[in-house]
Amino acid sequence: MSSVAKKRILKEYAECSNDLPSGMKVIFDEANLTKWDVVMEGPAESPYAVCLELAMCFDKRSLMHQGGHFKLEINFPNDYPFKPPVVNFKTKVYHPNVSNDDKGSMCLGMLRPEEWKPPNKVISVLHLIQNLLVEPNIDDAIETSIANDYKTNRAEFNKTAQDWVKRYAK
Amino acid sequence: MDPSANPPQPQSEAPRPQRPGHRDMMFCHECNDEWYRDEHGLTCPECGSDFTEIIEEGNDPRDSHMMDHDHESDNGSLPGFDGPPPLLPFFQPNPMRGADDPAEEDISSLQFRQVAPGRFTVTGTVYRDVSPMGRPAPAPPTENAGSQAPRALGGLTNFLTNIIGGALRGPQQQQQPQQQQPPGFQWNTEHADGQNNPGNDGNQQAHGGPESRPPGLPPGVHRFTYTAGARLLPRDPNNPGPRGEPVDELNNVIVGLMAALGEPPGPHHHDHFHSAGPVPINPLVHLFAQMLPGNGQFGDAVYSQEALDRIITQLMEQNTSSNAPGPAPQSEIDKLPRKAVSLEMLGAEGRAECSICMDEVNIGEEVTELPCHHWFHHACIAAWLGEHDTCPHCRKGITKQPENATNQGQAGGSSGPTAGSSSQGQMPGAFAGGEGTSDNPYVL
Repeated sequence: MSSVAKKRILKEYAECSNDLPSGMKVIFDEANLTKWDVVMEGPAESPYAVCLELAMCFDKRSLMHQGGHFKLEINFPNDYPFKPPVVNFKTKVYHPNVSNDDKGSMCLGMLRPEEWKPPNKVISVLHLIQNLLVEPNIDDAIETSIANDYKTNRAEFNKTAQDWVKRYAK
Repeated sequence: MDPSANPPQPQSEAPRPQRPGHRDMMFCHECNDEWYRDEHGLTCPECGSDFTEIIEEGNDPRDSHMMDHDHESDNGSLPGFDGPPPLLPFFQPNPMRGADDPAEEDISSLQFRQVAPGRFTVTGTVYRDVSPMGRPAPAPPTENAGSQAPRALGGLTNFLTNIIGGALRGPQQQQQPQQQQPPGFQWNTEHADGQNNPGNDGNQQAHGGPESRPPGLPPGVHRFTYTAGARLLPRDPNNPGPRGEPVDELNNVIVGLMAALGEPPGPHHHDHFHSAGPVPINPLVHLFAQMLPGNGQFGDAVYSQEALDRIITQLMEQNTSSNAPGPAPQSEIDKLPRKAVSLEMLGAEGRAECSICMDEVNIGEEVTELPCHHWFHHACIAAWLGEHDTCPHCRKGITKQPENATNQGQAGGSSGPTAGSSSQGQMPGAFAGGEGTSDNPYVL
């Protein structure tokens, strides 16, 4: 990995820590700069959120076990920032823009190789992910059947999404 | 090799190799839940029951649930994965017997099963009273109408033959040793002709399956059993290159279907199309469409708009490089003006950075400016332009091409992403290095 990439990733991490989207946490290992683990709460205004009523009844510590916590992995290519970082959901999530397999790939918008440009930053990628959980990008769906569900049967979509949160996002 | 002269080979005896990337699906008999074995193990994650089973090709406990069989599968002991796959365990008498359509009568069972998300098997047995070898050579179209082949299937088989052309192998060639067969594709040809094939019964035993020849099948009737699997790969944006586990070859799937239909292989009567009028709408297509409502896709064939969209998206994903702008010529990069950072180039906060490396730049430092007036460290922007002729901020190219020539340049660039300075001159859409950005880009 080039020293440019290393330097930039370190700078971005420093910047990130002040400006992370709410409910996100980056776990960063200095020994391996190229892989960031991100833990993210489902945004409150999305079906991926922690159930608020339940949250009222518990203290903050037990809240952590109520679900709605998604693990993501961000991998930086060796020629970052000339190539986009690769984002994978390690937690299964029912979402039109996240591949429904063991990879949980996301590939849209600025993350596409042909759309990526070096001035883009990880922090904007993180914001993009959070916005997508609130509002999926149907036109750029990777899972067309889930997108269809979202378009035509929102109640069913929300229900399935919440079921998955309960089942997987612990 | 005439199939009728040889006893069939017990090919299904060979253990079916576990394919790389295969994931065991589990099924719970208590609550009908399904999950991946490697994620939740053998115990049902939903109800905690141990009454579970691995779903395998040829052993799908869901079927028995759906059909409400008396037959209870061996739930106590999980079936060994390396054992011979039970072939056609659910043989049932042809429900279509007596139907008007001869094609329907011939197909005794055709099963499509989804064994895991994106993984299918198709298993079928077809009884034919037409020998694949005995089919008369290309017949005149008028006779064709009355030929032995089911009329409605003629169009499909012709069509398939045209697609795969010389790659088509006939049943007699398929009777080759197992190792020559492509993985994921099994072939068995059996003959119900008891006179020529005294070992027939014994061979059926060898399969271990409950299948038997329906009574009343006249001698000379051939039975074809085929099993084909297809793995439909989900898109993998992280690694769009060639995959280790490809979808079954189109040829294999088609050959399997063709043989099941009893169509003789090899060169075909192309005059069929000319005189037979419009190709009849094939009932199989409708059959497939009904059998695959979930994703409308079987192997390389799609039967729904959604499945087609999925494939097109996948193709686009795999060719992203051709979408992206090609590299800028090194000579153009070298010609970019350098300038020292001045006070007015700094932002409102009195500081500025190169947006590629995010390093702060100070007044007096030398940077490289693009035609669009965005500036960067020379090393940074040169590395980017060497791959994409766009400004990282506004995407404007540094070679002054008119809009309509840009596409040309991209197409040429995609084939040689590492084009060095020696080959730039030949890049379509690029200006010859020495002449620079001429006023007339259309000089040939």
